[in-house]
Amino acid sequence: MATAKELSASNNVDNTVVGPSILISGRLTGDEDLTVRGRVEGELTLSRTLIVEPSGVVKANVAVKNAIVSGVVVGNINATESVELTREGRMVGDIRAPRVIIVDGASFRGRVDMGDVEPGRLPAERPAVVRPAAVTRPTMTPARPTIPSARPTPPPPPSRPTPPPPPSRPTPPPAVTRPSAPVTRPGLGGLGSKPLPPPPPTRVERAEPADQAGSSEGPSPVLVGAGAKKKVVVKKKTR
Amino acid sequence: MANTVIGSSIVIDGEISGDEDLVIQGTVKGKISLKESLYVEGSGVVEADIETQNVEIAGRVTGNIVASDKVELKTDCRVVGDIKAPRILIADGASFKGNVDMDMKER
Repeated sequence: MATAKELSASNNVDNTVVGPSILISGRLTGDEDLTVRGRVEGELTLSRTLIVEPSGVVKANVAVKNAIVSGVVVGNINATESVELTREGRMVGDIRAPRVIIVDGASFRGRVDMGDVEPGRLPAERPAVVRPAAVTRPTMTPARPTIPSARPTPPPPPSRPTPPPPPSRPTPPPAVTRPSAPVTRPGLGGLGSKPLPPPPPTRVERAEPADQAGSSEGPSPVLVGAGAKKKVVVKKKTR
Repeated sequence: MANTVIGSSIVIDGEISGDEDLVIQGTVKGKISLKESLYVEGSGVVEADIETQNVEIAGRVTGNIVASDKVELKTDCRVVGDIKAPRILIADGASFKGNVDMDMKER
């Protein structure tokens, strides 16, 4: 009798699972995958993968090999391999891992440190994993796409060539167009010689960094925080 | 059925609480309080005070156990601590040291 019960009890999955109604507070360590559907608070150390499912909440300092966050993590994650924030993932804290993946829809506040990046592996690994849309901050997302698109393709913007001609040419009084000078720079540049100088230098300046920005576009989307991004990008450039 | 499993290589030092079944194959130190059943399997080691509805122990437990329904000590288990529950089962081969309180008033 007892053995049958033991068998049925031991039939459970090998994986460690923290169920949705479970709260663990304290220190948790282990050498196997851990799936969190409930809450874990305190300190979490694994030599394998931590999976935080959508219902899972981890308020802990986490040290793992891999972390996949679909739920909520408040605390720092230190991963020897990778950290992935999925579409449903929300995290506040710092991430330190050689590979950080943040998918579109994830929300994240904190710093990212990918450590010293080896130049050789950048093109190989990063672009495949990376998606520009992964950026979590709504304010940042629009800024990035617009900048790169504007830099490489300066002529396309229809705003410069199209609007100026109709108003400026038919309307004789140039005084009217002057007040709006900052907006219609190109238009004025085309008409008068004075406004011309300022626009070219700005274009030239932009053109140079544009190349660099273009080259760093691949790795850059991986990063989340603005500060972290710049930091890592600089490292990559230097090496 | 159990949703929560503490795998054999896992060590928890702290507190576990919840409203569902818990299976322990690893090590838990501290305190466990559940509203459902706790299963300490053969490989499980618990050094904690336990407060649940049901407990089934096949592994090692050191600590006091209070169950609102039943405590079952299975063959080959090793338990040190006091047990308080309306129903307590101790199987042949189980090793146990401590007080037993079946709380006769409530029954």
